[in-house]
Amino acid sequence: MSGKAATGNVRRLESRHWFGKSCAGVLLGFGLAVALSGLFAWLGPGGIEGGGGKTQFNMWLIAPIWAGVLSFVFLFRDSLRAWLWLGAANLAAFGLLGALRLGMG
Amino acid sequence: MKIRNDVIKVYKDVHIWVGIVSGLMLFIAFYAGAITMFEKPLERWATPPSALAPPPPIERADELREAVLARHPQAAKFHAVVVQPTAEMPARVVWREPGKTRRDFTEYGASFAADGSLQVEKLARAQVAQLVDTLHQLVGLPFADAVARPIMGAVALLYAVALVSGLIIVLPTLVKDFFALRLGKNIKRMWMDVHNALGIVSLPFHLVMALTSVVFAFHTPFYAVQEKVVYPHGLPWGQHAPAPLPGPHEYPLPADELLRRVEAQLPGFEVYSFIFREDHGQLEASVTGLDIRYGTRGRTYASTHLNPYTGEVDPHDLPGHMEPWDATVNTFFMLHFGSYGGNAMRWLYVAMGLAGAMLFYTGNLLWIESRRRKQRDGVVPGQKRSARVLGCLTVGVSLGCVIGISATLAATKWLPGQVDDLAAWHEGIYYAVFLAAVAWAFVRGAARSADELLRLAALATLLIPLGSLAGIWGVGGTWNHPGTGFAVDATALAAVPVFLLLAHHTRKRMREGHADSVWSAKQEAAVEPDAPPRGMAASK
Repeated sequence: MSGKAATGNVRRLESRHWFGKSCAGVLLGFGLAVALSGLFAWLGPGGIEGGGGKTQFNMWLIAPIWAGVLSFVFLFRDSLRAWLWLGAANLAAFGLLGALRLGMG
Repeated sequence: MKIRNDVIKVYKDVHIWVGIVSGLMLFIAFYAGAITMFEKPLERWATPPSALAPPPPIERADELREAVLARHPQAAKFHAVVVQPTAEMPARVVWREPGKTRRDFTEYGASFAADGSLQVEKLARAQVAQLVDTLHQLVGLPFADAVARPIMGAVALLYAVALVSGLIIVLPTLVKDFFALRLGKNIKRMWMDVHNALGIVSLPFHLVMALTSVVFAFHTPFYAVQEKVVYPHGLPWGQHAPAPLPGPHEYPLPADELLRRVEAQLPGFEVYSFIFREDHGQLEASVTGLDIRYGTRGRTYASTHLNPYTGEVDPHDLPGHMEPWDATVNTFFMLHFGSYGGNAMRWLYVAMGLAGAMLFYTGNLLWIESRRRKQRDGVVPGQKRSARVLGCLTVGVSLGCVIGISATLAATKWLPGQVDDLAAWHEGIYYAVFLAAVAWAFVRGAARSADELLRLAALATLLIPLGSLAGIWGVGGTWNHPGTGFAVDATALAAVPVFLLLAHHTRKRMREGHADSVWSAKQEAAVEPDAPPRGMAASK
């Protein structure tokens, strides 16, 4: 990481766009957490009818993913990039989840 | 590990802001959480003595059950045989009568009087342990659960962000700084080292607490969203075979026989009670208890179904016998509650909880230190208003929580003799003391109020064992349970010199520390650059 910074090619991260980035982290982070937990519910061991224990585990997965996205969202250079990248990730994850529900449900 | 300077700088800002917003609520959650690790002993200590005759042996439990059910048929819906009656559960047979909500119920206990007649008493299980637990769960907020719980969840999310951002900040200098504890003149450096050491050493503990608390706050909406978005046919909870109906000549086993059979099936599982529920003529039973090798998803006990006709335990809900997914989820709960490993682990959790409270306290101290206006050319500057305000808030909220809990605990043994609504009084005392402490901190300033409030904390905590001492002589309706309550009184007594020592150091800091600080007594004489004398402002 520091090697790139030394060459001066990388734009430096600045303390700004707090509101936009935080909102992206809270809203899109939650969406991504739900979608990824859903993908795990379908594709993880045991499948979608994995029993009560797996159902609970799937719910628990939301917390670390949501908290993780909210923690790292400030690495985006600006608010717009945060919304676009996380929005795209949401679309991809929900798209896949929808396809799974259609194909396997 | 190398991380770009600009990233570290951004994450320093993140860390500072989430820390300032959530730190004081987390202090309360951790201080109350540390105390609530011993919820059961506290409840035992705090429950007034029962007027019931001593419980009959477990061999006579069924005789007592039948007598209760004959006189109070409504008890059939929910009653229990207690294996080891204690001060807070002083009867062999207890039952619940429902109130307005599921959690609102009245508990009754029964015994045989000396003449063999049935004795019934409304149980007076102490409310104060529940208050401490509620303070812990709702980060000290005096709002209804529906309001306070989502706020707690948001605080837990901020707390997770604080952990990640804090880690990012210390990672580059971790190896160099980790073993350094530079106690000395540079106070900011010292608090930084303490803060970092606390954070790094207990990081796994804190990650567990943050993420489990997010789930505890939001599991209902999480499930609701997943039900809509993820699952095709509703939440799959899995099916368990319904309890088999008894044959025509099968009768429920007596409690002592159930105990023998359960103990034979579950070595290492300490049985607390058997619960019986009768619904439309069908009897269902469950057994509660704890195997400290596995912990539990409850705070203090595990519970599983039991066939009351055969004594056969259905272990699918029992830690140590679960399927892998259930066992994994059980681990998440167990790690939050510290319900494994027995009292040694509970004491370790107390230590970790207090260390957590210190982590948030030192975080606020650091914020104040890094905004200090330094002395120059012999002139002692006044400190920024923001630093003064946060100093007062930190002292007032933290010590207000400490004194409030001690004060409401100190009132425990006196209240039942004087008032009726114990829960309201305990809550009232806590919040009155808490708010008074915060107000006092703003009136007196951070330094002086810290000293005074610490001495008040010592006094309030000293009053806790005094209630038990009064109970030995039976003064004013007080009581003392010989043996069982001693640990609570001893712990309170041990905390008294700690508060006095902290007060002593605070005074020393006030007298001898830097004058250019909110912690100095000399601040009042300081020059106030915020508010220049009249007429000077324009010339600036």
